[in-house]
Amino acid sequence: MHLTAEEEKIYDGEQGWAYQTALKILVKLGDLFNAEKLIPIESSHVSGVSYKTLADAPIEFLEALAQTGAKAKIASTVNPSGLDYEGIMWSFLPRHVKEKQEKIVDLYKKMGIKPVLTCTPYYVSKPKQGSHLAWAESSAVVYANSVLGSWTNREGGPSALASALIGKTPNYGLHKSENRKPNVRIRVETELKSEAEYGALGIFLGKNLVDKTPVIEGLRYPRETDLKQLGAALASSGMTSVFYPCRRCPKKAEKLEKLAVDEQSLKKAFEDLSTCSGEPDMVFVGCPHCSLNEVRHVARLVQGRKVKENVRFWVCTSRHVKAKAAWHVQKIEAAGGKVVSDLCAVVTWLRELGVDTLMTSSAKTAFYAPTMNKVDVRFATLKQCVETACHR
Amino acid sequence: MDLELKGRPLVSGIKRGTALVSKKPLSFLGGVDPETGLVTEKGHDLFGKSVKDVVLCFPHGHGSTVGSYVLYSLAKKNVGPKAIVNETADPVVVVGAVIADVPMVDKIDISQIETGDTVEVDGGKGTVKIVERKKDCT
Repeated sequence: MHLTAEEEKIYDGEQGWAYQTALKILVKLGDLFNAEKLIPIESSHVSGVSYKTLADAPIEFLEALAQTGAKAKIASTVNPSGLDYEGIMWSFLPRHVKEKQEKIVDLYKKMGIKPVLTCTPYYVSKPKQGSHLAWAESSAVVYANSVLGSWTNREGGPSALASALIGKTPNYGLHKSENRKPNVRIRVETELKSEAEYGALGIFLGKNLVDKTPVIEGLRYPRETDLKQLGAALASSGMTSVFYPCRRCPKKAEKLEKLAVDEQSLKKAFEDLSTCSGEPDMVFVGCPHCSLNEVRHVARLVQGRKVKENVRFWVCTSRHVKAKAAWHVQKIEAAGGKVVSDLCAVVTWLRELGVDTLMTSSAKTAFYAPTMNKVDVRFATLKQCVETACHR
Repeated sequence: MDLELKGRPLVSGIKRGTALVSKKPLSFLGGVDPETGLVTEKGHDLFGKSVKDVVLCFPHGHGSTVGSYVLYSLAKKNVGPKAIVNETADPVVVVGAVIADVPMVDKIDISQIETGDTVEVDGGKGTVKIVERKKDCT
């Protein structure tokens, strides 16, 4: 890989161990994937925050980096943690767990990474169309590539962190136009009526496509939230990182290998995401974190209703969106729900909260929660979720 | 003469040690105990074995990218492998080897190496030399 004179100096350690190690990570990855050089990026989004999923694994390395005083060179954000900032989780966890979680977040902060703990950083600051990024949250990667028209590979926690410190990423994979072309044509032969159905489609496609790039035709008027659910699910069951939704297939894609999705396969994919049909003790909306529109929508659905006493109704979003949605947050909380920030249900301690059965409209959550949280899952539309959470 | 396998250089450094060979992909996060270096992944052919001071040979890594940090922790606690040999390297293990400063080579036919062989890995040249075959117990 070709390095500039300045990069050579960093590689040789002139700016210290942290930057040298960060650059080495990028160069080795570049070598592995035949990148010819590093390219500047607009922002980085780092995964590897939740103490629930990671335990002590990242702490030593992050500490060593932070001690040197190394700082991010570009706008950088991190994924949700296992704790919310209002302290809902605190009383359910031993003190050392809380301290370790706070420590991880502090170490990122020390390195100049904004403690914006969300999986939807694009609602906080939207990247420019055509910009290059180094993002690590798989749902945000698909969203950036497919909805925003930005260019990013599916980074891991360490490589996104290295990119934050250097401000660059190796030029390979989805940073090159030839690797972004669709190579399979999906025809959806049934009308999708809810964001949950888009999620089920994503799970089905992820399993079948593995890492192919699809043109998806037959989607009539997908809303932003539908595409977000589709992408998040696609990246959960497979490795696809970009998709192209369209009403009619573009001419260029007509000759591609075809795959049809009929009503029956979609129905099966939807049903397979539930592990039970029992009463939930938690109803969770906001995976990926809600947009302002979604919070508003939930507020409308719960307005004038009351959440059942034995059910936790959580709506997860970033602090940023929560602040903007104050009016809607009030309505949701007046109904007995909770708008929770900095946290994601899948990466927090659901069992310690006493959750056995989780109901959600997120296909990604339904896909992960049975194994990551050891809970039963009921997968349903947002409307059904609200109906179940509230008194009649 | 020693048998020398030629692969791709990934992380430089020369280390000699006893080979521990697996036929299965390995996940460092959740698969290896960062305190002790013991393989904890159930059903893995290395289950219960220690990666401490061995030349660890396995096809490739899998699982969470945070697995790289586990390799760093292992190295800091002196319970990590001396060197890593893969068939096809993946980003998780390569990044782990870089930050832990563990010599690493890939594109090696690891079926040529047996657990117990003494091997020398040259991460800069991309070679694995089999210095001595495992001694027979008979």
